[in-house]
Amino acid sequence: MKESLMEIVCCPIDKADLELDVEEREGEEILEGSLTCTECGEVYPIEDGIPNLLPPDMREDAAA
Amino acid sequence: MTRDLADRRGVETEVYGAAEDSELLAGAAADLVGSGWTVLDCGTGSGHVGVRMRKAGARVIASDLNPHACERAREAGLEAVRGDLLDPFRSGVFDAVAFNPPYLPTEPETEWDDWMEVALSGGQSGRAVIEPFLDGVGRVLAPDGIALLLVSSLTGYESVLGYAGDRGFETSVVAEESFPFETLSVVALTR
Repeated sequence: MKESLMEIVCCPIDKADLELDVEEREGEEILEGSLTCTECGEVYPIEDGIPNLLPPDMREDAAA
Repeated sequence: MTRDLADRRGVETEVYGAAEDSELLAGAAADLVGSGWTVLDCGTGSGHVGVRMRKAGARVIASDLNPHACERAREAGLEAVRGDLLDPFRSGVFDAVAFNPPYLPTEPETEWDDWMEVALSGGQSGRAVIEPFLDGVGRVLAPDGIALLLVSSLTGYESVLGYAGDRGFETSVVAEESFPFETLSVVALTR
């Protein structure tokens, strides 16, 4: 994801701002890291460049 | 019929590929969006609609519940976000939102519990995903924003438009195509 995506995404649960923590960056792209809700503290992973903003109870990879 | 679940199932089980419905929506979306717009391809699937909007000059965010679809969208050069419909997006950020929803009415006993089913099945009414989308899309649209929703006659066209009207949207058909078993319409939703 690009850092400018921060202007578009929010916590899916309470719509509060997220705080970006970068672990691995490649040029403009953030490949690994996390997004933490500044309100509820929930942590959302960024893996292979894709932020996973599903709430925790929906996060499993299995189909519904 | 073109989108029979059983037919699709033999072909692909992870990501719904672009078909007639995607193409109809992609064309309408590409005509609508302007250069510099920020748009959402909601339930991006193969990424087809998002890629067309990007070629029209928009910044495209592509979201999907399905991680495989998110990976394909990213490989196609779109900004991918894994999420449930409109939940992970801020209020008022999108100039346009395009959505080709899962819309086939499906009996519970014929559901398969895989990603292809998630991409196709709209529950027993066909509207199980469309209604929450209509509940939430007004929040993420900019004041003059437009949502484009693909609606099949199989889903109950009047019911969908009625539901949208109850949520404060004016509706107009911007593209339409008839097939032997269904008519597909792209409906523009504005306020």
